[in-house]
Amino acid sequence: MAAPGRRRLAVAVAVPVAAVLALFVGVLATREPAVNRKTDSPLLDQPAPGIRGETLDGQRFDLGDLEGRWVLVNFFASWCVPCIQEHPELKRFSAEHAAAGDAEVVSVVYDNDQENTERFFAREGGDWPVVTDPQGRVALDYGVARVPESFLVDPDGVVRVKITGGVEQAGLDELLAEAGG
Amino acid sequence: MADQPRTAPAARWVPWVLMAVVVAVALAVGSRPADDATEEDRVRAIASTVKCPACSGQSAATSDAPSATAIRAEITRRVRRGESDDEIRGYLAGRFDDILLTPTSSGAGGVVWALPVAAVVMAFAGLAFAFRRWQASSPTTASPADRDLVARARTGGSPADAHGEGDGR
Repeated sequence: MAAPGRRRLAVAVAVPVAAVLALFVGVLATREPAVNRKTDSPLLDQPAPGIRGETLDGQRFDLGDLEGRWVLVNFFASWCVPCIQEHPELKRFSAEHAAAGDAEVVSVVYDNDQENTERFFAREGGDWPVVTDPQGRVALDYGVARVPESFLVDPDGVVRVKITGGVEQAGLDELLAEAGG
Repeated sequence: MADQPRTAPAARWVPWVLMAVVVAVALAVGSRPADDATEEDRVRAIASTVKCPACSGQSAATSDAPSATAIRAEITRRVRRGESDDEIRGYLAGRFDDILLTPTSSGAGGVVWALPVAAVVMAFAGLAFAFRRWQASSPTTASPADRDLVARARTGGSPADAHGEGDGR
């Protein structure tokens, strides 16, 4: 049987360790999920910055042409692992809403050359407009710090949600419903 | 012993006025933008007041992250277009959350710059006021005890009291 002194020492060590572990679990349990993470942006509730440029297949693109529909503006790069991980979710979201005609996905290339971007879409699929942004001006206008980042733009052309990190189709649908879509 | 000649009240202010002029000129010269600053200098100066959005603790002036490179290119473009520093910083602040390393010099942000200056001016005013009060309350003529102390010191005094400090030590 342990001496009372040793037992007291064990309790004195175990209690703080248990408290730190409980705190750690609490922080992990209450933090924002790694996907569909909404973040602040000065652009929220402001008119979405214009996106005018060329798509990967050489077509002219203007975000204004999509007014009347929800648009998910997604900034991505082929070298970005979370972008690769979220891509199937974007495909599901796009397919689901293309049928209903209420929302569209638009991707904007971030710090990536055309060849790698084309290879990425050939491999991963996706049939929505992919806008090239060679000078990074569109990303700057949207305040993109790192990819992936996505913006939900409402049918009136107003930015309603900013998401940093990857997205999931179900979470996007929830955000769309929350924003009134 | 003859009293010190009194200085005219106006003459007493001359050093203070001179000091104020020197401080004002130094501030004016120090805060004036350099005439020979190149476009590159100005871009670097503005970029150094903006955070690199993708980095930790680094300004957009020193980072090679894509977002920092794009910010420098945009600052260059806007400098060439003739925009002011505050306009350029305002554009970036309207895009990125919490991106400025220093507050703007206009509007509410200007208070941050004005407060330290106001505090220094008030501190100097307080010191000047305190000095004047101490000067007014201190005796301007020597008391008989003071005269006695000086007289004893001049006649040599005792070796044990070479500094004329008396027995009060």
